[in-house]
Amino acid sequence: MTPAPLVLDGLIVGAMLFAIGLVGILARRNLIVMFLSAELMLQGVSVSLVAWSRHHGDWGGHILVIFVLTVAACEAAIALVFVLQAFARTGRLDAAAWQSLRESNLPRVVDRELPPGDAVDMKFPTLTPAGVEPAIDEAAHLQREHV
Amino acid sequence: MFDLDASTLLVLVPALPLVGAILTVALGRLLGPKAHWPAVVSIAAAAGVAITLLVGLGREVLVGNHGESGSAAPVAFEQIQTLWQWANVPDAYVPPADSLAIDLGDDLVAKAAGRPASLPFSIGIDLRLDPLTAVMLAVITCVGLLVAIYSIGYMHDDPGYPRFFALVAAFVFSMAMLVAASNFLLVYVFWEAVGACSYLLIGFWFRKPSAAAAAKKAFLVNRVGDFGLAVAVFLLWMTYGTLNFHDSAASAVPGILGMERLSDPTGYVAGAVGTAICLLLLLAACGKSAQLPLHVWLPDAMEGPTPASALIHAATMVTAGVYLVARCAPLYMACPEALVTVSIVGATTALVAALIGTVQNDLKRVLAYSTISQLGYMFASLGTGILLGFTAGIFHLVTHAFFKALLFLGAGSVMHAMGGVIDMRRFGGLRRVMPITAATFLIGSLALAGVAPFAGFFSKDEILAALHSRGWPDAHAEHHGEASHDAHAILEVPSRPPFRLASDRRTAATAGGIGHDGSMAATYRTLYWMSLFTAFLTAFYTFRAVFMTFTGPTRVPEEAGHHAHESPPIMTGPLVVLAVAATVSGWLLFSTHSLADFLAATPSLACPAVAATATPHAFHLDLAMQGTLAAALGIVLAALGYLGRRSDGPLMDRFLGPLGSLFANRFYVDEIYAAIIVRPLEILAMLCAAFDRSIVDGLVNLVAAIPLAVGAAVRRFQSGLMQRYAVAGVLGTLVIVLALAWSLRA
Repeated sequence: MTPAPLVLDGLIVGAMLFAIGLVGILARRNLIVMFLSAELMLQGVSVSLVAWSRHHGDWGGHILVIFVLTVAACEAAIALVFVLQAFARTGRLDAAAWQSLRESNLPRVVDRELPPGDAVDMKFPTLTPAGVEPAIDEAAHLQREHV
Repeated sequence: MFDLDASTLLVLVPALPLVGAILTVALGRLLGPKAHWPAVVSIAAAAGVAITLLVGLGREVLVGNHGESGSAAPVAFEQIQTLWQWANVPDAYVPPADSLAIDLGDDLVAKAAGRPASLPFSIGIDLRLDPLTAVMLAVITCVGLLVAIYSIGYMHDDPGYPRFFALVAAFVFSMAMLVAASNFLLVYVFWEAVGACSYLLIGFWFRKPSAAAAAKKAFLVNRVGDFGLAVAVFLLWMTYGTLNFHDSAASAVPGILGMERLSDPTGYVAGAVGTAICLLLLLAACGKSAQLPLHVWLPDAMEGPTPASALIHAATMVTAGVYLVARCAPLYMACPEALVTVSIVGATTALVAALIGTVQNDLKRVLAYSTISQLGYMFASLGTGILLGFTAGIFHLVTHAFFKALLFLGAGSVMHAMGGVIDMRRFGGLRRVMPITAATFLIGSLALAGVAPFAGFFSKDEILAALHSRGWPDAHAEHHGEASHDAHAILEVPSRPPFRLASDRRTAATAGGIGHDGSMAATYRTLYWMSLFTAFLTAFYTFRAVFMTFTGPTRVPEEAGHHAHESPPIMTGPLVVLAVAATVSGWLLFSTHSLADFLAATPSLACPAVAATATPHAFHLDLAMQGTLAAALGIVLAALGYLGRRSDGPLMDRFLGPLGSLFANRFYVDEIYAAIIVRPLEILAMLCAAFDRSIVDGLVNLVAAIPLAVGAAVRRFQSGLMQRYAVAGVLGTLVIVLALAWSLRA
């Protein structure tokens, strides 16, 4: 068995994973899916790293991949917070909802408007208040619209 | 002898007004309505010092001289006070080696021995005291004092009150320095300084557009003359190797107007260079003294406050040109062509300005043209090139300072009472409203018109006599015959080998017979008749103004309101003093002949070339009759046209016809200047502005437009949409990767 085809296979799989992730990031608007696509690209790179590592008989690639996984886990947690916060602000997961950094005189880009229905009527659990409980108007508190 | 303290006194004359000006600037706001005190007190002190100097020097020159030698010829007197050395550049001027080669005379050896290898450029702050300076200082400070006192009343409510007095004091300082300076560079410096004071005082009410424009015009026209003075100073330096008037021990060459060069009959350059120097000095004098063709600024300068007009634009600053020509008399004596040019310019200006003055309706403008005309007289007198002409010019300067300041202050008094109205057609019969002003104005007018006992009569008579003696030399020959030999001034000549850089020279000695021969007699004859006609016109326009203003039914413009009254005593006081001076000064100075004798002791006028033309003091009855007749004719004509009720109707104006509009439009000189100088320059300026706006600014804007255009193109990609940024990132990465691959190929 020549090592070359094995490396080639690994690289092909890695490249495919990367390409799928890239297409996902570029084409999808759902924040969570885009986040998943980014992870996919990361894994594509990891696969090619492992392939090269095996090809060269060097464990460095493997070790690097472990690091990548660790970092990806942390990054996933942080990214999820961002996504959740973004959702809490607008009530939707659409990346196209966040265009306010564009040039002021450019129009808003709308290729396809999402149906408005899936943004409304979101209720979230409230956390148990910690420490000394402040005086809260119960009625107003229960009927409040947002956290 | 009073030579110990004389130099201190000489320094005090300009120093006191300078202190006054600085104090007024520093404390002006603090003093408020008392802001005139520093200026008035300092100018008063300077006037006292100047009169002390004049009297002391007069006693020294006139009485002392008579006591010693018993002859009538005065000893030339000068005293130099060097305050400090301003500039000292060693080896600034290396005389060209062949400059003496042309002058191969028998004294070549002496010249070569005395010729230094190079000359230092050494300029001191040198003040000089001589009769001419003393007379000028006395006139400047006395008129300045009276005008300053008058201004207390005239300017009392003006918001620029401290500024006015600071400027007046600064002007008195500059003018005193100008006449006391003893080298050409200092003269140039203070020539500019008085011009700056004049500019600031013409534009005193700078919010008024016409005043600002008049100030600008005065400044620009004066630049032309100042340019002449600058070039003349350069030429003097190149020709004589020094700029000092006096001989100084520090300098290897004798001063231009020093005793040594004055006593040397070949001391002055004639020919092209000498004539060029004289004509450039004349150009400078024309600018400052408002002679043709640079007279256009003076009538407009009447936009300034009337006291400033009286002080600067009638009595003192405009006579700086007369002073300069009189001071440089020996230079002119070497160049008869330049001399006759001075006379021609003066007499022509006198005639033209008088013609214009006959149809002016603005009282101050009548006086302005009269000033130009009288200055023309002085130049005509100086240009005769005889001692009588020079002394008569300065004599007329002195009397004119008194009576013209009087007339201007009188006009200011009228203007003050009429609520700022100065158009003579709008008021009349004011002798009942303001009797003191009317009486003093009448005295000033009689002096200006040249009526017998008043000051102008004597000085004008001397000027006419000077012109007459050049025009009809034979008629005066007997005077010269007895006078030319014993009237030489005595010059003390230090023994030093003369040094001259003159290569092109006709000596003053050959031209020195100017008073004796009949050269250019026809020219001077014409100038005499022109001056006589001008005397007639002077009397006419003066009394036209008097009759229009003070006779006829009393009319007061509505601007005056109900307070058309005589001016306060602080204003009429100076008027009365000046009226007395205008009445007695002429007779006093003429009958005793003290002024002429005194001035003859000025080194410039005591040099043999000038002193040889001295004539005995005489009263020419025939000339006086002609002058008086001309004046009487003018007054009678003015009375026919404007006395009493006739002052209200333009009876006279229709006789002039087209000439009247020519005079009223000031011979279209302003229009001609506008057409040949101002308009082309404006067009050039417009072209430059268009070039600047289109080409220069266009290039700058083009450069600025490039990043704008790039930014506008790139801006469209700034959509705020995450996916587009991702695409840009991917593409960018692709480009980098491809570039990397390209660079690593093969």
